[in-house]
Amino acid sequence: MKKWTSLLLAALLVLAMFATASADTIALTVWGAELDQNFIAERVEAFKALYPDQTFEIQIGVESESTAKDTVLTDPTAAADVYNFASDQLTQLVEAGALINLDSDYGQALQLANRSIDDVKAENVPASIDGATKDGKLYAFPNSFDNGYFLFYDSTVFSEDDVKSWDSLLAAANEKGAGRKVGMTLASGWYNAGFFYGAGFTTGLNDDGITTMDWNGTSPDGVTGVQVVQAMLKIASDPAFMAIADGDISNQIASGNLCAVVSGTWDATAVQTAFGDGYAATKLPTYMAGDKEIQTGSVGGGKLTGVNGFSKNAGWAVVLADFLTNEESQARHFETNEIGPSNIVAQGNPAVGENLAIKALGEQSAYAVIQTVGGKYWDATGSFGEQIAQGTIASDDASVQAALDALVEGVTAAIE
Amino acid sequence: MTQTIKPRMSAKKRTSIVLHNALIAVLAFIWLIPIIWLVCTSFSAYDGINTSTFFPTQWSASHYVELFQVDTVNQFPTWFMNTFKIACASCVISTCFVLMVAYAMSFGKFKARKPLMNVAVMLNLFPGVLSMIAVYFTLRTFGLTNSHLGLTLVYSASAGLGYLICKGFFDTVPRALCEAARIDGCSEARIFWQIVIPTSRPIIVYTIINSFLAPWMDFVFAKMILNAGISANYTVAVGLYRMLDKSLINQYFTFFCAGGVLVSIPISALFFIMQKFYVEGITGGAVKG
Amino acid sequence: MKKIVSSIGGFFSAIGRFFGEFAEALAKGDAFVKLTLLWWGAGYVKRKQYAKALLMTLLEIAVIAFTFGFAMQYVPKFGTLGTVQAEQTFNIATMQTEWNDYDHSFLILLFSLFSFVVWAAALAVLMRNVVAVYRLQQQAERGGHINTFREDMHRYIEDKFHITLLSLPVLGITVFTVIPILLLIFVAFTNYDQQHMPPNSLFTWVGFANFKNLLGGGGMTATFGYAFARVLGWTLVWAFFATFTTYIGGIMLSMLLNSKKTRLPKLWRLLFVITIAVPQFVSLLLVRNFFSNGGIVNTFCANIGLTGFLRNAGLINTSYIPFLSAPGWAHVMIILINIWIGVPYQMLIATGVLMNLPADQLESASIDGASKWQSFRHITMPYLLFVTGPTLVTDFVKNINNFNVIYLLTQGVYTTTNQAMANSQAKEVDLLVTWLFTLTQDYYNYKMAAVIGIMVFLVCAVFTLVAFNFLISGNKEAEYQ
Repeated sequence: MKKWTSLLLAALLVLAMFATASADTIALTVWGAELDQNFIAERVEAFKALYPDQTFEIQIGVESESTAKDTVLTDPTAAADVYNFASDQLTQLVEAGALINLDSDYGQALQLANRSIDDVKAENVPASIDGATKDGKLYAFPNSFDNGYFLFYDSTVFSEDDVKSWDSLLAAANEKGAGRKVGMTLASGWYNAGFFYGAGFTTGLNDDGITTMDWNGTSPDGVTGVQVVQAMLKIASDPAFMAIADGDISNQIASGNLCAVVSGTWDATAVQTAFGDGYAATKLPTYMAGDKEIQTGSVGGGKLTGVNGFSKNAGWAVVLADFLTNEESQARHFETNEIGPSNIVAQGNPAVGENLAIKALGEQSAYAVIQTVGGKYWDATGSFGEQIAQGTIASDDASVQAALDALVEGVTAAIE
Repeated sequence: MTQTIKPRMSAKKRTSIVLHNALIAVLAFIWLIPIIWLVCTSFSAYDGINTSTFFPTQWSASHYVELFQVDTVNQFPTWFMNTFKIACASCVISTCFVLMVAYAMSFGKFKARKPLMNVAVMLNLFPGVLSMIAVYFTLRTFGLTNSHLGLTLVYSASAGLGYLICKGFFDTVPRALCEAARIDGCSEARIFWQIVIPTSRPIIVYTIINSFLAPWMDFVFAKMILNAGISANYTVAVGLYRMLDKSLINQYFTFFCAGGVLVSIPISALFFIMQKFYVEGITGGAVKG
Repeated sequence: MKKIVSSIGGFFSAIGRFFGEFAEALAKGDAFVKLTLLWWGAGYVKRKQYAKALLMTLLEIAVIAFTFGFAMQYVPKFGTLGTVQAEQTFNIATMQTEWNDYDHSFLILLFSLFSFVVWAAALAVLMRNVVAVYRLQQQAERGGHINTFREDMHRYIEDKFHITLLSLPVLGITVFTVIPILLLIFVAFTNYDQQHMPPNSLFTWVGFANFKNLLGGGGMTATFGYAFARVLGWTLVWAFFATFTTYIGGIMLSMLLNSKKTRLPKLWRLLFVITIAVPQFVSLLLVRNFFSNGGIVNTFCANIGLTGFLRNAGLINTSYIPFLSAPGWAHVMIILINIWIGVPYQMLIATGVLMNLPADQLESASIDGASKWQSFRHITMPYLLFVTGPTLVTDFVKNINNFNVIYLLTQGVYTTTNQAMANSQAKEVDLLVTWLFTLTQDYYNYKMAAVIGIMVFLVCAVFTLVAFNFLISGNKEAEYQ
């Protein structure tokens, strides 16, 4: 009996809360990474100042971009109205209805700010817009475009010629590295896919959520997947190469074990501290697949700001999301956190151009692809990379082909 | 056991004592290595993980000081108070529930007793993490997610299921005592309050410690229920766990260690004070459990 | 086995008795007893127990209000788990989203179960009520004393005290354990996964499809079944070693500490206990960094040349020792680290038990000239086994469900090199519980997680049944009682 009285009470309480909250105040929540909290707070204040007629109640919460998907998908109705996430999560978030389609009526909310979705598309670099687009529709606002990897190296160890190919890089590290190694994460489908993308292989996603993958065949460039894996095995087995677990990179950089490392802008400060005056960055090296020299590709992407499909005040959420990702905000974000902008004007800022890491990312971006994959992709490719890192795949053609077939079978399996 | 060594002790015996204690010392040392590393690292001046040397290259207590200076990532004092509140509340509720169920199951003579006990055994065989999502939605229905009340309920509402050890202890309480009281006209409630509870100090202490500890240790449920991203709402476990996020670990690992040490101190003290009761409590229950 | 069969039998015969009493009351009761079926307070009014009548009437109103105000929104949809897909439109005038009245499959399932439980409870109350009213009638016919409300209430601290004690805890267990478990059992028969996640999509019943999926059958099942077998195997191996190593280690340590030769036993004990006092998410994450591929132990091993030695010996083919990142290594390390975590706890238990050891037996044994080993083997050990035998069984079950140790040590650092397992999101070091946790947290594959959860239950249940039969009933109970 007690249960039901308390249920009634609770229900009344919830009703009362809704009743008071909806009276003209516009309640919104925003989620961003821990280190962006101050930046977001500052921009939210600026936003409020822009619309003095409205009463906002904007709450800022912590959720890193890399884990946003996990929290949002568990219960989208409880997630923030506006949240930041990494572009590779877009597909799953859209499928769960956790992002609104900006190319629909929702986009018109921007009229309030005398803007339109087309402005957004024009102001940001096309690749960042591609990363926020699914099936031809824009689902989020790009807020940065620096979520890619390239090569950091210590210029006191390597010359500019050394870093052009993996062979010369590893040879130089063996020779002059004094025990310091060349590090890269292999046990992650985000990093190891770069070798395949560089050789012209692709991944994709069908409407039913099944990932497509052609890595066990021959690419349009005439390279076989077997050759790519054999090249990777050769790199991984080099004494100067160190395969690093995904979460361990910044730690390895900081501990001074590395003289070159494949990572991204988020590690720039750590690398700078570790390499000191030798700090340098460039695009990824090339590798030899059979007798072809291939530029290692990479996955490009950025952080996006989306509006929750279950947001009540979606209109204002769209306006706020647009504001948090506009030119001014992105420029400010670069100033406070050295986040590389996706906004074309903000990119033109000379300080951005001088940033070594962002410059190297720009060089690499010609070989970067937007990665579209489904849920089955990650564990399978992670395991595949780890097998290469530990050398558990024999390098003869038949074994490699068998391993690749098993990988493709797993990645392209139906979602049960 | 006295600490004076008898003067006439033979040399052989003395060596055996020395060897015996040396063995214990070696074992204790092995057991404490990670703890020593935790304490040392927490006094490091360096922010990230030290992988090359056991002892920090530069000592400093600055992270303890900074732990109490709140920033956007670290709100340790708030987390500590949150956890403390939740731990106290859930401790009271769980202890009451456990004692109530244990008493009913040990002293009660009702028909449903056996079936209920069998159901409890079955329920304990299901993995708890499985039911998380259902618990989450139940709490959400009552508007209790992102609230400390909700979290308290998660830790304490099902506490009654853990009655078995306590029941075992109650089984050892002499029945003659209760019979005598019953003849004197005591109600069941008074027997429970005035006879059984006072003789059960060890098991009560055991129950209190166990239920007090749960909120300090759990991060899985807490993370799921405190999902609004308001870090001022976190418990210590969730807050510290987040410091190990890829993007933060290099700046916050030492904070994590310092926080871990600060959490462990009161718990160790609790264990030290309660050691005797704790031992008696577990075994009193286990003997007959 | 007999014990369990008889307890199950007892359960059903108790239910049978309950229905029998109800039928009898209904058949032999007067009009007011029969009216009680409709108006719960009727029988009490007749016997002038107005307070009780009022309470029952209020309860009845509450149940009716619950049924029509809440349950009927969900229960009718239980068969389909909802048919109306969520659709939203944006109202530019209010700047707000407007939804249709969509169905949320998960909430339909949850609240339907909730309603079933409430109705079952209400039915039980009603039936008891009829019986109670009939008893009152008999009492009145015999001209006996009819309790006043105060007297009735007083019974709740007397012969009905157990009801007072149990009501709140049982309510808590029902809401936070029973209903969630029932729910997940039902989910095992639906297609609740990432393609069918409410609120954006609906899920529905699929019968035994998921079980077929796991145990071999259709399409991609080969790997799921394979992963299940591997994970189950390791779960059992782990539970066995985790239970016995810490158990034996705990006894040995406590005997070491309780020996007369030990100086300052309390202090030593505390030093060991500190490892329990540090929260596991701190101590285990720390140990994990301690043994990580680039961690301090690896640096140390490389410096003293152990890594090179192992590499030359062909035991490892990496530049580090994969303590927690390769199968075999990780399995052994996890069990070792668990010893570190678990032994102090078992030591505390064993210490307490040893304190209660029947001293006279030991004394007489030593007078008879028994060696220390003999008295340990024939007196201490059997006693310990008898006393802690049941906890050994429950520890085994706890270890099957030991989420923390495995999750904290391997999450994010262990990548499997077994493609078939990776394709089912499993790892060689996963227990069934950590696997199902990954499936729900990272892949939202609730249906398979639920199936695995049921499997965990079955494994534990079978083990408990067998163990209790062999270990407990096979023991010589009389000896120590």
